[in-house]
Parts: sequence; C-alpha cells; structure tokens
Amino acid sequence: MKVTVRLFAALREQLGASSLEVEVGDGSTVADVVDRLADRHAGLREHRFATALNQRYADASAAVGDGDEVALIPPVSGG
Amino acid sequence: MDATDRYSRQILYPEIGPDGQRRLGAARVAVVGLGALGCPAAALLARAGVGRLDVVDRDLVERSNLQRQTLYTDADAAAGRPKAEAAARALSEANPDVEIVPHLRDLSAADADAVLDGADAIVDGTDNFDVRFLLNDWAVKHDVPWVYAAAVGASGLTMPVIPGRTACLRCLFEEPPPAGSAETCDTAGVLGPVTTVVGALAALETLKLLAGREDAVRRGLLQLDLWHNDLRPVAVEGPREGCPCCGRREFPFLARGRGGTASSLCGRDAVSVRPAGDGAFDLAATRDRLQRAYRVVDVGSILRFDVDGLRVTLFADGRAIVHGTTDEARARAVYARTVGS
Repeated sequence: MKVTVRLFAALREQLGASSLEVEVGDGSTVADVVDRLADRHAGLREHRFATALNQRYADASAAVGDGDEVALIPPVSGG
Repeated sequence: MDATDRYSRQILYPEIGPDGQRRLGAARVAVVGLGALGCPAAALLARAGVGRLDVVDRDLVERSNLQRQTLYTDADAAAGRPKAEAAARALSEANPDVEIVPHLRDLSAADADAVLDGADAIVDGTDNFDVRFLLNDWAVKHDVPWVYAAAVGASGLTMPVIPGRTACLRCLFEEPPPAGSAETCDTAGVLGPVTTVVGALAALETLKLLAGREDAVRRGLLQLDLWHNDLRPVAVEGPREGCPCCGRREFPFLARGRGGTASSLCGRDAVSVRPAGDGAFDLAATRDRLQRAYRVVDVGSILRFDVDGLRVTLFADGRAIVHGTTDEARARAVYARTVGS
C-alpha cells in the first residue's frame, strides 16, 4: 500500500521534497514507513522528529493504512 | 465604553469583551527570551493591556538583531544595551499603563522560581532547548500554561501547553535534541516576517489563556513553512501516556547543577558563559581585580573588557558573553582565566 510522507523545515531541505510516496506492506506502522524512507535517504537517521498520522500526533507504533499521510516533525529551536 | 479608549477595538471583539479585558488587566505574564519571537510577543501583550509583563533576556542588542527584533533601535545596538532594559523602555513607551519588570538573566533552574513565581502564563521567546525544557518542567510542576514557539529560516513551530489538559513539550520530544543537531539562525538564517508571525501566534494563544478562554486555545502543534506557503496544524490529544513530565511528574530540568554551561548565541558570533556555582557573585570586587590586567569599562550593571581579540561582557550575576567566537570551550577558558570559575 502507498503512504505519503510529508516533510518539513530542515528535513524538507535535506530530502529535497515536501512530500514523498512510500510503498509498505499490509500491517505496517509509522516506524516501518520511516524505515523504508530511511533506506532511500540515509541522512534521515541522523534526525530526531515526532510523527503525525493524518494530521494527528501519533507514535511510531501506530498502524498505517493505504493512502494515509505520515508527517515528520523535527524540533525547531531558533528564535 | 469610550471609542477612543486604548483597548476599545479589542473589547469590541466579542470573544474578549469587557470581562476578558478586565482579566487581561489583572494578569501577569513572563516573556522569556527577547529575540525575534519575544519582541513581537511582548509588544502585543503590552499593547493589549496585560497587568504586568516580566521580560527576561541574557543578551545584548547587536546590529545583526535589528533586521527582525522589532523592539530595538540602531542606538540600542550602537550602545550594546541589554535587551531586557531596551525592551522594557520600548514597551513602557508603547503602553505606560503596564507594569514592565526587566530581568537581565540567563534563566536557569536556580532562578526560575524567582523570575516565574506568580506568572499566569509564560511565553517562550528563547532560542535554545535547554531553557525550553526548563520552562516545560517548571510550568508543568507549577500548573502554569506556557506557549512553545520557535522559528528558523522561514519555518516555525508553536504549541500551547496547558499542564494536565494538553500535551507538554516532553510528550512530543522526550529529550532535548543533541547540541548542534538542530538548525540555528547562524547556520540557516532567519526572516523577520516569519519570526514576527510565530511570535504573534504565541501572543494570541496567551491572550486567550489570560482572558479566561482556554476553550479557544489551539490544541496541538502548528507547523509553518511560510516561504513555501505551507501551514499545517497537527492535532495532539491530551497528555501522552507515559510522558516523564506530565505523566510521571519527573522534573530533571529543574535540578540545580545543570549550570556551568556555555552556549553559542543564535545568529551571533558570541558565546554565553555561566559559572557552575550558584553562590552570590560580587561584580565590584571582580572589577577591581580585572582592572589590574585589563582596561575595564564599567557601565553600572555590566563590565566590559577585551582579551585576545575577544570582548567579554560581564553581568552582575556572574554570567558573561564572550564576543568574537562561537567556540564554547574557548569562551569558557577565557572566562576561567579572566573572571575565574
């Protein structure tokens, strides 16, 4: 199934896109989606971020479904 | 109500009304950090007529601040005035009816009680996670709402925290990111309209809280990437089960002894150094000693002297800003060698 990953701030710059499509198997979780993306973009593993599923905060163990949207939320520090 | 009254347009807005305005006038709010977020937030809260505004900052005004830190003037930068002092003056000129209390401090676990006790809400205008995690622990422990706000480049992130009812910062980010891991204004730059938008959003949520309208406060995060016209709300349910802070009520960032730190200042070629001891610091005695070796400029509340091409500004609480380097170890070394730590 297909999941859309939305990127933000430093992650958007690093991966060069505001959203990417990821293909994962049935029964996958948010963590699986992130892992699959990190297989393609190793730099992702250097970052810490919170995650959201369909615009709601969700932890890494949340189950994803076909067509879902996972957003990565890196902490922002400046000010 | 007289239409010429200072607050008439705000009172006309029915969600505030006369009752909300009365509550604002009786409220006390602390703005911690008076950079590009704290400037607009403090200005809007002062103009809105909060009763008392405590403004806290450890830094001095510099020319590179003026592009986005809207409370300061060219003259403030030329004189190198402490931000808390310059901000207090600008805020009093904007609204003399508000009690403005400046704090020239690097907020730490040791002095958080002294600065924050009595606050009805706290606004995050800081540029680092050390202080944000301290604010989060303090606010949750003392049941005081605070608003997380941050911006870098053209991106921002903000979330109101109402202890026990909304998620807290540690529900989202359990530990501060490792030093050097997040973008800073030094490495990524920052745009004035972006910080002003994020600071204004933080002020707005604070007004709702102070006006007694917790029901209207945003529940969750707002991510902004304003160069790309991208605004995304992320709903966050109540406190996360198992959160060490609002769940287990552990407050490690309030433990003393996390001092003795040096941290480079966002957007500046300078390092802030704080000695580990939290005993009383004697500025006059230190001046007398330093004068044997250095040409010391005494500006009353601060001392300034040059060493090895670096300029050291020393505050009455023993904290120093070392200008001319971003190397924290070098700054600590200069501090130890000149002031002593």
